[in-house]
Amino acid sequence: MASNNPANPSVKEQRETKRAAKVAVLKKQQARDKRNRIIGITAGGLGAAAVLGLVLVFVITSATPKPNPDDIAIGDLQEFPGLTANHIDPNPMDYEAAYGMNPPAGGDHFGAWLNCGVYTEPQQNENAVHSLEHGAVWVTYDPELVDEAGVEALVEELPSTYVIVSPYTGLPAPVVASAWGAQVQLDGVDDTRLGDFVDKFWRNPDLPEAGAACSGAIDGPGRVS
Amino acid sequence: MAPDESPKKPRRARALIAGSLAGVLLLVGAFAAGSLSAPVASAPSTTSVEAGFARDMQTHHNQAVEMALLIRDRSDDEELRLLAYDMATAQQQQAGQMYAWLATWNLSQADSEPSMTWMSRPPLTGGDAHAGMGMSTSEPADHEPGGTMPGMASFEQMAELRSLTGVEAEKLFLTLMIAHHLGGVEMAEAVLARSNERVVRSLATSILNSQVSEVEYMRTLLAARQ
Repeated sequence: MASNNPANPSVKEQRETKRAAKVAVLKKQQARDKRNRIIGITAGGLGAAAVLGLVLVFVITSATPKPNPDDIAIGDLQEFPGLTANHIDPNPMDYEAAYGMNPPAGGDHFGAWLNCGVYTEPQQNENAVHSLEHGAVWVTYDPELVDEAGVEALVEELPSTYVIVSPYTGLPAPVVASAWGAQVQLDGVDDTRLGDFVDKFWRNPDLPEAGAACSGAIDGPGRVS
Repeated sequence: MAPDESPKKPRRARALIAGSLAGVLLLVGAFAAGSLSAPVASAPSTTSVEAGFARDMQTHHNQAVEMALLIRDRSDDEELRLLAYDMATAQQQQAGQMYAWLATWNLSQADSEPSMTWMSRPPLTGGDAHAGMGMSTSEPADHEPGGTMPGMASFEQMAELRSLTGVEAEKLFLTLMIAHHLGGVEMAEAVLARSNERVVRSLATSILNSQVSEVEYMRTLLAARQ
């Protein structure tokens, strides 16, 4: 009954051939599936990594704070570190000889501070320096070079408190802005470094007594606001 | 018959679910990693309502301290001098808190935009836009960037206060300080309607409560001097 004649295969042989064909198809299908899976996983992984990166960048940049006032850079800024802060009444001080400053930007001073405000007359250095210790910015101008409109423009640019504006004779520049231990010589009333100087030094927490009053002591001559 | 189709369907569904889960997990993980590694997660910016309030309210408080110290030197009424002592120390301490917020947030003490700009911004929707007790006298909406803060005494009024003594100084002090407090209440209400920052809301609520009750007290002191 059983025959090996290929021309006339037995039922068993026919089944085996069919099965082999089926297996081959299945194997091909499996190989294709495997390849597709690898492509899918790779693509998915790359996509996920891209999303992850984007989200990370977005979260970090949106929460990064604005530049610290300490990091503001000001062209030709002069700094005077390690100043003494003694009360020296009633003897006046030569700030140029003692610290190389003109006008003064900190150092020993009188016990009374100058009330912050706008003055039309020169002020006593030793009082104004005490105000710098409390966080004020003192804006001095050369009255030969800055007129009334110029002074108004300066006042407009400045905070309404903790600021002294006064004329000063013998300035090295048309306008000089001074804080405790820092100073910048400005080219004029519209020099943009004034705003940066205020942002950096006005009532700066590093000053010896920042936040102490700039009122309630003495008014100098010619106070107008 | 499709015996080779049936095992695929649940597998595809499973893969889909696993894929979406992995996606969600990745997003959550990335957000958490970003939040944790970002320098200061959510400090208010220099043009925020919180920074505007911290700067303007310090200026406002500092004038109240100046006025309170002025009247202590110009009156010998013990009740009024004690109230002034209370105001000066309380408001100086509160101004110090606001100063420290700005330092903590790495922000300059100086305004980055005209004063009162923050009060001209719209309130938070759904927040308690009508926070407080409605003590303020002027319409909170009429503020413009660069405007004067409500209740601030002028340079001339401060000069007049300095020139007086006794009951006349007391009357002017009380009149100016009532207006000053009402302005402070208005500013506190404005920030409560615009901020969810915990420390800001806490201090604004304290300012609101203490200044509302002090206004009532000062009105009785002023009436007794008329």
